[in-house]
Amino acid sequence: MTPASLRGWRLVHRWTSLICSVNLLILCVTGLILVFHHEIQHLMGEELDTTRTEGQAHLPLQSLVDIARKADPALVPKLFSVDPDDAGANYIYLGAPGLRDFEDGRWVVLNAQTGANQVLKPPEETLTGFLLKLHVDLFTGFPGQMFVGVMGILFVVSTVSGLVVYGPFMKKLAFGLLRFGRGPRIANIDLHNLFGVATLTWAFVVGLTGAILSFSPLIVSYWQNTELTAMAARHAEPMTGTPISIDQAAQAGQAAFPGKDLAFIAYPGNNYSSDRHFSVMVRGHTELTKRLLSVALVDAETGKVVETADTPWYMTVLLLSGPFHFGDYGGLPLQILWALFTIVTGVVTVTGFIVWVKRPRSRTAGAEERSISGSKAGSKA
Amino acid sequence: MSGVWRIPTALALLSLVGLAAAILGDGVWHWICWAGLFIPLAVCAAKLWRQWPRAGA
Repeated sequence: MTPASLRGWRLVHRWTSLICSVNLLILCVTGLILVFHHEIQHLMGEELDTTRTEGQAHLPLQSLVDIARKADPALVPKLFSVDPDDAGANYIYLGAPGLRDFEDGRWVVLNAQTGANQVLKPPEETLTGFLLKLHVDLFTGFPGQMFVGVMGILFVVSTVSGLVVYGPFMKKLAFGLLRFGRGPRIANIDLHNLFGVATLTWAFVVGLTGAILSFSPLIVSYWQNTELTAMAARHAEPMTGTPISIDQAAQAGQAAFPGKDLAFIAYPGNNYSSDRHFSVMVRGHTELTKRLLSVALVDAETGKVVETADTPWYMTVLLLSGPFHFGDYGGLPLQILWALFTIVTGVVTVTGFIVWVKRPRSRTAGAEERSISGSKAGSKA
Repeated sequence: MSGVWRIPTALALLSLVGLAAAILGDGVWHWICWAGLFIPLAVCAAKLWRQWPRAGA
């Protein structure tokens, strides 16, 4: 690598890191707590009551929808969703009649066996909800979410550029050398290099998946406006008769994908379906396949499946980004490891910032950098 | 491979295997995940422990 290109990579690493550092620290602190959101919700009594009696059947979906509608009779059902980790929790979205989008509606959460209506508190009123809002959009909605996504991209560039500058810097230094006796700047550089390179793969994956999740409104919207719209347009016959029940739609959709579980159902007339069709989405059973969705378009008049499809690659990437960002797919030990990696990432951020604050400001800075990076120290750690 | 990259590459591969393992299955896959992700953290802790300045050193 030429000195000029190394200087360029150093600049990229310095500025991408500095720009995203404050937001990254917020993400580290909130993310560290959110890793244990299930445990915190349990401790604070904010868990949904999804207790089930073994052997007792779930209520018909139509009964659950009828119960949900009592919460606000002026609204109509738009979506029916089943919690992927707990089939006992069913979410029903009610929205204004005639609207295709999901503005001004509300979610109703029901116990699938008892139909007990569980009030969802506004995010600001629960600890995990508050932290999640801060983590996702800094309480500024869509613009904040896009901002966090851009910060995520900067963080990814920072990890890649950090790797590029690591090699030349460590040429004459042993891996993991920590020179605590040579002043705070060198100690922080060494800590930054060791912790940064050892956790780089995790940081890259979590940063990239976080950025992808931040852009999820754009990705989902693109899917709706292209593939789902095209799918619906191929079956544009007007609705003339009485629609089938949601249970019949669910049965037809699941029959098209034997062995798969119900994920969610979009009623006819919204952005996820057509004016005449239910969209029935199903998922698999394993840790991997339960993240992936397939869609069956079910005719609301005849009850027949008119078309099926798997999600396109970009939706698959989005759906798979969840576990690799949340660390919720390997039990409590993985959550603890995730938390430790988050702490180390915070340390890398802070040590990097200290290195920048304590940077040499004289004309001999270049000579000093060369000295730090090895000519005076090469002992094995 | 240059000596500079030997250990970082090994840690990166362990992390990748660790990240991927638990999504592929339960049981032994979880153990592979935990071990793969534990090692990079353990290396950080060991290096810090061995070189931390102690009084009188």
